[in-house]
Amino acid sequence: MTIVETRAKRGDAADGTLGGRLSRIDGPAKITGVADYALEHHPEGMVHAVLVESAIASGRVLAIDASAAKVAPGVLLVLTPDNAMPIKSATDWLNTPPADTPYEPLARTITFAGQHVAAVIAETFEQATAAAALVKVSYEETPAIFGLDDPKAGDGMPIDRMTIEWGDAQGALATAPVSIKQEYRTPREYNVPIEPHGLIAEWQSNKLTVWEPSQWIDGMARTYAEWFDIPFENVQLRSPYIGGGFGSKALPLEHGAIAINAARMLGRPVKLAVTRAQTFTAYGGRPATRQTIELGATREGKLVSIIQTGANETSIKDVAVEPLGSVTSIMYATPNFSSRQNIVRVNTVKPGALRAPGENPSAFGIECAIDELAYEIGIDPLDIRLLNYAEEDPHSKKPWSTRRLREAYAAGADAFGWSKRHPKPRSMREGNALIGYGVAAGTYPVRRTPGEALVRILGNGSVEVASSGIDMGQGTYTILAQTAAEAIGVPVEVVKVKLGDSSLPRAPVAGGSQLANLMTGAVHKAALAARDELIGLAINDPKSPFRDLQANTLVVENGQISSPRDTGSSIGIAEVMQRTGRERIEALRDTLPEKLRNDKDHFRNFTTITTMLSPTEGDYSLHSWCVHFVEVRVDQDFGTVRVARMVSALDSGRLYNPKLAESQWKGGIIMGIGQALLEEGLVDARNARVINNNLSDYLVPTNADIPDLKVISVGTPDTNASVLGGKAVGELGIVGVAPAIANAVYHATGVRVRDLPITLEKLI
Amino acid sequence: MTNTISLNLDINGKTQEVTVEPRVTLLDALREHLGLTGTKKGCDHGQCGACTVHVDGERILSCLTLAAQVEGSKITTIEGLSDAAGELHPVQAAFLEHDAFQCGYCTPGQIMSAVACIREGHTGSDEEIREYMSGNLCRCGAYPHIVDAVREAAKVMS
Repeated sequence: MTIVETRAKRGDAADGTLGGRLSRIDGPAKITGVADYALEHHPEGMVHAVLVESAIASGRVLAIDASAAKVAPGVLLVLTPDNAMPIKSATDWLNTPPADTPYEPLARTITFAGQHVAAVIAETFEQATAAAALVKVSYEETPAIFGLDDPKAGDGMPIDRMTIEWGDAQGALATAPVSIKQEYRTPREYNVPIEPHGLIAEWQSNKLTVWEPSQWIDGMARTYAEWFDIPFENVQLRSPYIGGGFGSKALPLEHGAIAINAARMLGRPVKLAVTRAQTFTAYGGRPATRQTIELGATREGKLVSIIQTGANETSIKDVAVEPLGSVTSIMYATPNFSSRQNIVRVNTVKPGALRAPGENPSAFGIECAIDELAYEIGIDPLDIRLLNYAEEDPHSKKPWSTRRLREAYAAGADAFGWSKRHPKPRSMREGNALIGYGVAAGTYPVRRTPGEALVRILGNGSVEVASSGIDMGQGTYTILAQTAAEAIGVPVEVVKVKLGDSSLPRAPVAGGSQLANLMTGAVHKAALAARDELIGLAINDPKSPFRDLQANTLVVENGQISSPRDTGSSIGIAEVMQRTGRERIEALRDTLPEKLRNDKDHFRNFTTITTMLSPTEGDYSLHSWCVHFVEVRVDQDFGTVRVARMVSALDSGRLYNPKLAESQWKGGIIMGIGQALLEEGLVDARNARVINNNLSDYLVPTNADIPDLKVISVGTPDTNASVLGGKAVGELGIVGVAPAIANAVYHATGVRVRDLPITLEKLI
Repeated sequence: MTNTISLNLDINGKTQEVTVEPRVTLLDALREHLGLTGTKKGCDHGQCGACTVHVDGERILSCLTLAAQVEGSKITTIEGLSDAAGELHPVQAAFLEHDAFQCGYCTPGQIMSAVACIREGHTGSDEEIREYMSGNLCRCGAYPHIVDAVREAAKVMS
């Protein structure tokens, strides 16, 4: 486990309280190279595993000839399905009971190119890499479906649970005075954390230690325990630092089972580092999507009907759904609505979660479509959004808890200078550059799972916070230190935060932008309990100046306990602890409802997502909101698009640390710029292989692609959304960026690009 | 290939002996053999910049450099950037102040690039900083804050 101490380099004392702009407390370790990421451990006797992958996308493995690899220098084992020790199937994250059949992470039947078929374990990384190249695999190949555009793919199968309908959408559209109908598409996109996936697995008898970057310590530890048939407590998963995840490091993957199994078979610690090329096939990113949107409106631009039909690709074996109706169904008021979705099986790795799964492509569709309707009607794209503003959740019919989107439109438009926009496309230019202004909104739901935290006050007056929750850059270490400091009444510098270890109190998945809200809630509760006990000590100490005072008359501030009625006396926390002979005060608290407060549901709460509340559970509909204003400059000869500037106004409720929240927002916006202009998994139609499986060909934004970004917080505390008033932050920023850019490109050029990314050949 | 060679590498002002196969990269020598894990492996193909270190004062990609190539050169890694008393380098301090990172994985490479970028004199404008810091990818999207940090550190150091 890693202990991060608070060291605020600069700034003032107020930075340490909740809502202050404290620099991240895990920062010093990261900027000096001391932070220990998972693959940087070196247990005694560690050896290296390298994966061998399928060269075909569909068919089966006929034979694996490992004869040359086995005798290569340093090789300890060539792992294949035929010699692997059996692994059990495990419960999944939806709490689906496991199958009776064994789990085989090395494939015999091939359903995508790049599937793991064998692994070579050798004394050194170089030896394992060289020997892996000597493994000869022969196949029986069958025709593969390369993607949504493959004629063999068909229309797919409907996912009925995605159907959302009210009113008479078809009837209303048929009689609407104005209507549009267009198809919008997003390609396969990848998470691309700069730290590739991988792990080190070490067995000591039937106890397993795994160092692995993880967005969900307890969920992954449970799977490992079930796969290898050992008690949950026997798995220690350690992940104090995670080099980026963006949704891709939350669930256990095949390569994890392979490394852990190899370590078990060899009796030595095994390190398996997924190569950059393998990060495109060892797990999936966002699936390719297509959606047709029909809007019907009055001549003034008031919506009367929205009809959406969408589809996303999935793998041959699995059901992965990218919910395309999630934003469409709540962004605008409409009396008639219909959204349906199919999934289409293709020969790819199972798609995964990539920042705002669902909301992201959903917003691309509806936010481009509403822009197109604005031009059709002849009104300002901002005005049409205000005209159709949803005063309540149109889907659940519940009131919003808070929806400061109107304020966001106003603040963003003002800061951007939207009023300077000439309404006509291709009407603004500077030299060779066609200038376009675009706007689009975004939203992300508030997801809620109960949390747990341990807070300790130590004899020297310092404070410890502990949780298996993780920090992959969102700022968990920092905001939990701020939460505990404020709740107890100590300077933030005396708070230590321990995270990312399965031996610590439990935490649910760091996904769905939920962790900050649920963890601050749990730490706040535990810290107040610790503070109450501290005050109890001060009152009951016979020599205390506060002897027999009422607890609620005492205050704790800056590590000192005092009574406002008696201004003279004040004692330090360490002194109280010393006088009462206490080494520590310890408070472990969870925020589970009473009905879940039993061992079975407690375990289920932290190892599955079945207790996560939907955003509309309860009296309100809970969401974060944002709007992006973009200026693009398009070279009129070459069609190159540059984002010249952006202003975003966002409502994430209360910000626990604005400095870190702004960073997360900007990070999402930058990923959105990449999605709009650069990112696209290219698949060779001949063999269904991802051909740009590296960082030179799968383009993510570089520093030179990004202008200065202005972000404005328009949120107010929303205590219906969370205990301390925050809403979703991490996944909000990306939603709406791509349509804002597409809308700006249309305004600049008069060319409407409806399939991402917007590359130059689509504009010239 | 199991032959090994013995190298004396001058790393962060200290000579260190390491015995490796000739095909071992400087990056893997640092991370796997010398315990200097501050230098990161992001792609192993010279495409992300996470492995940036200084060799004789210039930034290079340690994943595209064999350890055997740099014997006799002065190598500086992120671990050698702070002074002996542990005081942060101005670039490190500026990265912390401006929140120029999130997950922290690309950060050592960004910082080593930034120190070189300033030394090269490529901080004349924000555009120039962006261009000369574009060999280092950051997926968390800290770019605007990296520009802020490099601009400020360049000022402090001049």
